[in-house]
Amino acid sequence: MRHLADIPRWCEDVTDSAGPVRFARRSRLKAAVLGRRNEPDPSVPAARDGGPADYGADYGTALAYTVTGRILDASPQILVLSTNQGEQRFPLSAAAKAWRGGPVSPAALRHGDHAIVRRSLPGGPVVDRIWAEVGRVTGTIIEREGPVTLLVDEGPAKGRKIVIISAKTAGRIQVRFPRLEPGYLIDVIGLKHEGFLQALIPATSQPPYRADRPPAPPLISGHVPDPVSGTAVWHEPGEEPQGLFGLAYPALDPETSCERVAAAPPSCSGDLHAVDPHATGPGCVRLPYLSVGSMLRLRNDCTGRIRFLPVTGCGATARLFCDRCVTCGTSQKGRIADLTMAAFVELGGALETGCFNATMTIGG
Amino acid sequence: MLLAIRELQIPVLAAMLIGGCAAKAWQAWRSRSVAAGMGATGLFPLRLRRPVMIATFVTEFGLGLGLVATGGQAGTALPAASVRTATAIFFLIAVGTLQEARQRRPEVGCGCFGELSETPIGLRTVIRSGLLCVAAVATIGTPRVRMPASSTQAELWLALLAAEVTLMAFLSPELGEILVRLGYSEPCELRRLPVGRTLAALHTSSQWRRYAGQVTAPTPADVWREGCWRFVVYPGLAHGRRVDIVFAVYLQARRPPIRAAVLDQATNEVIGQPEPVSLPLSR
Repeated sequence: MRHLADIPRWCEDVTDSAGPVRFARRSRLKAAVLGRRNEPDPSVPAARDGGPADYGADYGTALAYTVTGRILDASPQILVLSTNQGEQRFPLSAAAKAWRGGPVSPAALRHGDHAIVRRSLPGGPVVDRIWAEVGRVTGTIIEREGPVTLLVDEGPAKGRKIVIISAKTAGRIQVRFPRLEPGYLIDVIGLKHEGFLQALIPATSQPPYRADRPPAPPLISGHVPDPVSGTAVWHEPGEEPQGLFGLAYPALDPETSCERVAAAPPSCSGDLHAVDPHATGPGCVRLPYLSVGSMLRLRNDCTGRIRFLPVTGCGATARLFCDRCVTCGTSQKGRIADLTMAAFVELGGALETGCFNATMTIGG
Repeated sequence: MLLAIRELQIPVLAAMLIGGCAAKAWQAWRSRSVAAGMGATGLFPLRLRRPVMIATFVTEFGLGLGLVATGGQAGTALPAASVRTATAIFFLIAVGTLQEARQRRPEVGCGCFGELSETPIGLRTVIRSGLLCVAAVATIGTPRVRMPASSTQAELWLALLAAEVTLMAFLSPELGEILVRLGYSEPCELRRLPVGRTLAALHTSSQWRRYAGQVTAPTPADVWREGCWRFVVYPGLAHGRRVDIVFAVYLQARRPPIRAAVLDQATNEVIGQPEPVSLPLSR
């Protein structure tokens, strides 16, 4: 497992003198000054959270189910991964499912693929789900070339990506994303290639508004409800370490976070369509301002699994999507958490589904 | 009494239609997009959504004005009967569309009253349209609307109107949104507050005076926020040990509560126990 010490420095640059270590200390300092003793300490792994019984020994802040690495060998019975702990061998359950651009047999996975796998039992050796070379692009379309190539801006923190939609999948994607034009939002899941994503699955329905004009948020009566319900999605690691356990939070304190980084002046025609999510309002779900290092308790309402997660990055692009997740019932409107891939899988999410209905408690 | 109920439906229907129209126009103006209040028009192919939205808007507005303009005519007159029949058909189509949207797009609101109608379409919304359809049918053939002849009749009308408004309010998920907007004041966890103001409040506090002698740097080593609290950390020296002095400042404009704690930098031992805080994180 990776901890808060892995958090990159690109977010929250104010008084940024001590590096990521200071983010890891924040929970301890907060607990000390507010006199609270019951907050999870991110430096202590394997704190039990009282999760549902069907998951057996459930763990609060550690990766108990999820492993990431590069595939060294794959057969119908065994998967060999190169992880940050060295070479690891995982027996596959009889019902093991693999995804590589679609459902495939585990033996069809390729040497060198980046994979994220889920164990059948927490900490156990047997694996039952494998995703290989899965990627996702979420943001504003800023350029379109020809019928199927898009340049997508994922916001100031994540940069830009190229999405290619093949003729075979164009129909499926355009049913949910009818406006593949600059200025509109896109969120697609697909197969990662060198330099681009081959879009295969629409991760949501396209919001009808332009990215720079999301609807005004509903007003809050009294205080923000705690816990708050909504949609949890996932994002590719980008500059984050592979296997980072955390989430990008849509409402980092604007006074001390990456919102303070001024947008670069337009240098190409696509820049004119790029949208700074910080400039479009708070999004359609109002969340209390937090900071990198804040701890949250997130529950996957579809599986009942609960984890304590640190905020590890800036998820302002999530504010642009006023959508709902319908993985299990219809979620409250709006994205409340943009999880790292490891955290998403750890909480029981299926990467190809793209979201799950979630309940988040601030401060654990 | 039955006649009074039927006569009452004309102003109620006109108010609902023109109110819905005004709410949609307000949303379109604010978002500079007709499609922003798409609602149930999301059932249509993309190229038809904008025309359908405009057609709905124009129809609502036309029917609302038509009901008002023909209110003085008997319900048997051709213009009044036409408008009222068209209103009944409009709400009948609305019932079917809402039911279809509820099944096929369970996540979208009906958009009936613009951005107030973003709650997913429920049975209440469908029943509301059904009742309005029945109300429109009831107005066909009524005599011309006139002022009440006596105070007793006026009281009866008012009582019936109150009952109908209550029923409509019960069937309208928009009511909760309206009530929230009327009594709104931004809670502290959503309020932007510059770091400079937090530091100014801290530096004039008794907690700062108590620990200022131990602080060894002019600027904080870390500043972050969680909900209604902003945390400020200064490096310091206490009893010859390197320490972190952490202040928690509650984000309110006047006399914010401030807490402080001192931690050994090497061992994380808390030197002196701060009082537990009764104010929750987001309150």
